[in-house]
Amino acid sequence: MKRNFACGSIEHRISRRSLLAGMLGGSVGAGLAHVSGLSHFIRPAMAGELAAQQKRVLIFFMAGGVSQLETWDPKPNTDTGGPFLAIPTSVPGVHISELLPYTAQQMHRLSIVRSLNTAEDDHGKGAVFMETGRRDSPAQQYPKLGSVISNLVAPPSAALPGYVHIQPGGGGVNKADAAFLGPKFASVNIDDGKPPANLLRPDGLTPAIDQQRNDVRRRMNSRFTARRRTAETEAYGFSYDQALQLMERADVFDVSKEPAADQERYGKHDFGRHCLLARRLLEQGLTCVKVTHSNYDSHSENFDFHIEQLGEFDRPFATLIDDLAQRGMLESTLVIVMSEFGRTPRINHLMGRDHWSKAWSVALAGCGLHPGAVIGKTNDNGTEVTDRQVDARHLFHTYLSALGVDATDNYPGLNRPIPIADPTGSEISELLA
Amino acid sequence: MSIAFVLAIAFAEVLYGQQAAPLHELIDRQIAAALSAKGISPAAPADDAEFLRRIYLDLTGSIPTVGEAKAFLDDKSPLKRQQLIDRLLNSPEYARQMQRVFDVALMERRPANRVPQAEWEQYLRESFAANKPWDVLVREILAADGADPNLRPAARFYLDRDGEANLVARDVGRLMLGRDMQCAQCHDHPLVEHYLQADYYGLIAFFNRSFIFTPKDNKQPAVIAEKGEGDVSFKSVFVDGATDQPARPHMPGAGGPIEPQFVKGQEYVVAPAKDVRPLPKYSRRSMLPELLTARDNVPFRRNIANRLWALMMGRGLFNPLDMDHPENPPSHPELLDLLAGQIAAMNFDIKAFLRELALSQTYQRTSALPPGVASVPADSYAVAQLKPLSAEQLALAALQATGMTDVYRASLGASLNEPALYAKLAGNLGPFVSTFAGQAGQPEQDFQATLEQILFLSNGGVLRSWIAPQGGNLANRLGPVKEPPAVAEEMFLSVLTRRPVVEEAAELKAELERRAQERPAVLQEWIWGLAASDEFRFNH
Repeated sequence: MKRNFACGSIEHRISRRSLLAGMLGGSVGAGLAHVSGLSHFIRPAMAGELAAQQKRVLIFFMAGGVSQLETWDPKPNTDTGGPFLAIPTSVPGVHISELLPYTAQQMHRLSIVRSLNTAEDDHGKGAVFMETGRRDSPAQQYPKLGSVISNLVAPPSAALPGYVHIQPGGGGVNKADAAFLGPKFASVNIDDGKPPANLLRPDGLTPAIDQQRNDVRRRMNSRFTARRRTAETEAYGFSYDQALQLMERADVFDVSKEPAADQERYGKHDFGRHCLLARRLLEQGLTCVKVTHSNYDSHSENFDFHIEQLGEFDRPFATLIDDLAQRGMLESTLVIVMSEFGRTPRINHLMGRDHWSKAWSVALAGCGLHPGAVIGKTNDNGTEVTDRQVDARHLFHTYLSALGVDATDNYPGLNRPIPIADPTGSEISELLA
Repeated sequence: MSIAFVLAIAFAEVLYGQQAAPLHELIDRQIAAALSAKGISPAAPADDAEFLRRIYLDLTGSIPTVGEAKAFLDDKSPLKRQQLIDRLLNSPEYARQMQRVFDVALMERRPANRVPQAEWEQYLRESFAANKPWDVLVREILAADGADPNLRPAARFYLDRDGEANLVARDVGRLMLGRDMQCAQCHDHPLVEHYLQADYYGLIAFFNRSFIFTPKDNKQPAVIAEKGEGDVSFKSVFVDGATDQPARPHMPGAGGPIEPQFVKGQEYVVAPAKDVRPLPKYSRRSMLPELLTARDNVPFRRNIANRLWALMMGRGLFNPLDMDHPENPPSHPELLDLLAGQIAAMNFDIKAFLRELALSQTYQRTSALPPGVASVPADSYAVAQLKPLSAEQLALAALQATGMTDVYRASLGASLNEPALYAKLAGNLGPFVSTFAGQAGQPEQDFQATLEQILFLSNGGVLRSWIAPQGGNLANRLGPVKEPPAVAEEMFLSVLTRRPVVEEAAELKAELERRAQERPAVLQEWIWGLAASDEFRFNH
């Protein structure tokens, strides 16, 4: 029997005919709506609808592989459980590790998926699978979630970048994240307090001088495009205007502008400041923020490692979830806490846990996901998934569904048909409220 | 070989050999016929300045000096365009520009891990300087195993894809046959009926026995080695209960080599062993270069004809350049057949082929729409397409526009030549390439303007320092020029390769008079405004 997969069956999606027409029907001139390549500039209905709904995404990437046993799926008093207890949470019957006391009080706003089996124990390939929803393949790279969000969800007219990645020592742009979507959708990497490179005018270039030279540019453009206007010229000129707008808002990236009391609540350490900066950016209208917390690769001294790292993670994370909820933003903000994989139930001779992708967990929140839900189960000592096994493909479909994107569509505006999410996966429907 | 094909080649050879109608005229006839059938009027010919900037960017990768521009614009010869095309095609700058174009096309900015970038570039540059035919170049690239020092750079195509059979096969399909069959890796292509899983694996079968062999002696470079056994098989992931089907090496839709059969254990001249590079009696990989570049392999010649057309005209007759299949038909099917036949008949002479494209009226049209016309379809070629400058074109053009290239020229004095000048310029390209070039391993994308790029041009130190007056650059030269019209002429010729229109000269004059006390600032604002304009960012 031939299965009815998305990249073959496209009844309610872009038809092959209209796709080809889109590829071939480019034109030059005033009829901008028909120009191929315009898609990067003004995208069709889908982006417009989403923009109106103001969806946002906040990704926590726990680099190195956080232990599911010390976080979302504790197994106390078993041979694999380690020394920590499980504590009750704000959801009756749901317990998580005692290393996350503040987070436990936000459980009624979180969901946990405890039944991941991603079968990929390599850091690089695990990260690719988790962040692109597709297995690493040498012949084709796919965009990471942040770039996908930037492409499909971020309003194209926004002055702010669609996808910002906060990490210690951040800077520059990671084009690899965007793959075939192109550098416009790459991550803009920032460290706390420091705006993207070249956002601040150099000494001697006053706003007045900048305005004057941009006036020269605009007059030149208006003469040139009087009979040569294309989507490309529009996009290029528009980008200067967006950059000028952003220069006026450079303090968007400056976390020191947040109230002192909030800086205290989030903590003065890197991760605390990064969480507060994430809140600031989301409040200012940025669409996708990824915060990397390093490093959880605890091949030795796993328990000390997790006391320290999660001790840093717990409170600012819980504070941010609470703040988003209090401000009414959580219902439109998808929050994801992921790693490249989990850690072995078996405790090695160095008191460490090694790479483990066979049975591990992620936590999610917001954007209409079923709050307090716990999806799937592992066995008593966490060595196997016993119920509702899923992997990164299912998560990727679920993220996009939560954002209102039909993940079985092809990417709009590309010159070849590529389905947004892996057609062999599907959403975790019981998570979607 | 079909009779029709033999006739087509013979016909093409007669036409080309006798020069009865040069290819550029045949191109124009076909484009004109299609325009006429659609009732579209073509745009006027480009004026000399527009043509000059376009042909320099296309054939040399940069814009002309003020002196070169003036000389061409003031030349009264009716043959000056043809003479310029011939001069540029035979310049060392042409070889370097083709080196850049084909480096990006073939390697897609992948990191140079096993063959140094400079050696690969030199190999390409020397190939284009000698006008090595495309089929010869492709055969060298596919046949090289990295062991012969003379052709080691050619092995980069394989070596810097880590010998990964899927990747090499996919890119041979995309870059040399115009067919991206990647989706056929797991099943017959769901959206392209003619891309079959069997054909994809037929290409992989040329490569799956090959691997990268690292000699035990670490001082010896890694080379390509091959086993004498091992087959590929495939099954569709979309068909329940599908059974494995074997794939024999073959060109898509065509036959494959007749393969010798060996008794098990007799396959090798040198048998595989630890730290030994095996040598099979029969090499599948070595069958590919001849089969791929064979005269009767139609996709091979369609691919190169279409890629060179796109290089000059701004879009392929079929787009994207790696989606040649019946459901994505070319805009001008007969023209593509003609071009593919002719380039084969010309023995894949890239320079002669580009010359014909450059001589065509189609290439030499203005990019401005005729007055009163709101739009024309881009694939009609009624007007010239805007082509975004590549990262390197943008950097080199900005260096020339701001007069920095002139500073380097002057510094070389009597020892000025292309390699010496390029050595001076090269160090300036890095920041532009890292900011404007596409992501490694991805095909060149549709034009995008990123925040990073705009901020780099607006506030970054690189362009800023080139625009500030120093040692004979444009701002420095303009400083002592008294007459505003002379200032405008020099500035516009330097940055935009044209003289200013009346309105522009008047605006600059008014601004210089109004802000006489801030003259250096006004000049720099204008140089920046011109360099940041659409007219500069695109090859029009």
